[in-house]
Amino acid sequence: MATPRLITTLAKRSIFRNTRRTLLTILLISCSLIAILFTDAFTRGLLETMIKLSTQTFMGEAQIHQKGFREANDVDIYIKRPYNIYNTLSQLEEVTAFSPRTISGAMISSSENVSAVAIYGIEATKESQVSKLKSTIIHGEYLSGGETEILIGSELADLLEVDLGDRLVVTVSQAHGGDLSQSLYRVSGIFSFNERAMDTGVAFVNLAQGQTMLNIAGVHEIALRLKSVDHADDTALPLWSQLNTENLETLNWRQLTPQLDAMLSMSGYSTMVVAIIMYILVALGLINTMFMSIYERHTEFGILLAIGTKPKQLFYQIVMEGFFIGSISVFLGVVLGRIIGAIGSKVGIDYSEMEVNGVSLNEPIYLIVDNLTMAHLSLSILLITVISCVYPAFHAAKLTPSMAMRKTL
Amino acid sequence: MTQVIKTHNLCRHFGEGDTLVKALNDANLTIEKGEFTAIIGPSGSGKSTLLQLIGGLDTPTSGDVILDGKNISQTNGSALSDFRRDHIGFIFQSYNLIPVLSAKENIEYIMLLQGVSAEERQKRVDEIMHAVGLEGLGDRRPAQLSGGQQQRVAVARAMVSQPSIILADEPTANLDSHTGADLLDMMKALNETQNMTFVFSTHDPKIMERARRIVTLVDGCIVKDERKD
Repeated sequence: MATPRLITTLAKRSIFRNTRRTLLTILLISCSLIAILFTDAFTRGLLETMIKLSTQTFMGEAQIHQKGFREANDVDIYIKRPYNIYNTLSQLEEVTAFSPRTISGAMISSSENVSAVAIYGIEATKESQVSKLKSTIIHGEYLSGGETEILIGSELADLLEVDLGDRLVVTVSQAHGGDLSQSLYRVSGIFSFNERAMDTGVAFVNLAQGQTMLNIAGVHEIALRLKSVDHADDTALPLWSQLNTENLETLNWRQLTPQLDAMLSMSGYSTMVVAIIMYILVALGLINTMFMSIYERHTEFGILLAIGTKPKQLFYQIVMEGFFIGSISVFLGVVLGRIIGAIGSKVGIDYSEMEVNGVSLNEPIYLIVDNLTMAHLSLSILLITVISCVYPAFHAAKLTPSMAMRKTL
Repeated sequence: MTQVIKTHNLCRHFGEGDTLVKALNDANLTIEKGEFTAIIGPSGSGKSTLLQLIGGLDTPTSGDVILDGKNISQTNGSALSDFRRDHIGFIFQSYNLIPVLSAKENIEYIMLLQGVSAEERQKRVDEIMHAVGLEGLGDRRPAQLSGGQQQRVAVARAMVSQPSIILADEPTANLDSHTGADLLDMMKALNETQNMTFVFSTHDPKIMERARRIVTLVDGCIVKDERKD
């Protein structure tokens, strides 16, 4: 055993002198690490769920509009030659589906009530490849191309006191002059997105009817489904350069929902805040443990110094003890964190009653454990444990043998 | 004979003003190589303080301690640690072995600090364990040894690195009389065969019987220095 090995041996064996105290300290550090890992995995899961719900429910990963439409929400600002864009989109690898839509504010009235809604004209087949509308139908049928078909939300149906087959009159202000146009529809389907804004304020008709109502030949919006949500951030893809022109504006989901993007940017802070709190707890817990351990071993340290151990060797021994406690804790924390992560990624956490940033969490949140982050957080905890031992170690190294061994020599 | 310990006007005071305690006053003592010396005196007479100063465990208020020709009063830090490691062996009243190390590891601890080769360490450990009657007990932890066996390990630890001086503070105080006598006989034999210098702080008549020199301290002053031969 050379000196470093001697110090290591002493440190390794010393940490289990007071097994209960050491185990409690290990538990404190492990639980702190688990809490940080859980927070990170939960935040990642929450964000992924929100992005998924936000993009896959209706919005798509990107949308194309005529420039100015989003700001003015004016039916006159529409894409006049959408077929050229359809051709372009068909040739782009990263685009798996797209859905053209007309959008307009409308008054929808039944024999019992009236309500303001946003009315979308959609191509049934294409829409089903982009949004979840088809799967949200709880009564009746999805659109099949009929002239009088209309889909409304469950809460709107309650408000209008209508059921399948009942008549609805939709009044819109047409493009090119603002003339009012009224159309008669029969409720063909009732959907439930489990999201209040959609279920009370939106209705869907076939695209042709939407265009006829608004007196336009084009569309207001083309929603895109991309191969991967990551493609929405890849500005190098031809999609962005080809479809952002003088007249067209193609935006990804981050630009379409800046509040969600802001939340995403802030998400790192929540993990950081939890991590800082946990780091402080770990540091204080460990400093306390090490000082208790050192006070109990004053005489022994006096002996070690008396027989020739250098203060710096004693310093290293204490730091090494912290390193071992930290290593065991991190190992335990990572193992338990992985188990919890694995369970959480399969089972998921149900937040179905909650709506965050306008997104209804109607799917369980599955934990997402990121290996690189886990490695960073684990190393940080280990580093904190080692740093926390510096002060107690410095205290031990400053002991004078005579003071430390008051009871003897 | 070679002087291994020399103190010159050694003083150690604690506190100041009204609370000033003069634990040691102008202690002048010279100990030669191979001596078996007992420092005696009533409790609070300064025996332990003198031993601490000689061992470099405390710093004198004034005066000098010269060990093996080196003035350790003017040495501190790592250099003093190295000096203690290489020149002084300590035996304590409460054995004070390192509880997490086995008997063998306790004995070889100082040699490890000295960087002695594994082969040489093994040889010396075997020899000293044989000399102190600890054969077969090398793997036991201190808690698995009797008081007498622990003190033998402490003696072995003090001697194995072949220091020029061994300082022993009441080494028999926690042992029964038979075990204490055996241990003293063993140390006496080692003193005679290996010519090591032993300095004891003690109240034990058995040590006084065996010591060739008795230094008496009262109120921090050396009042008597008797040689038996």
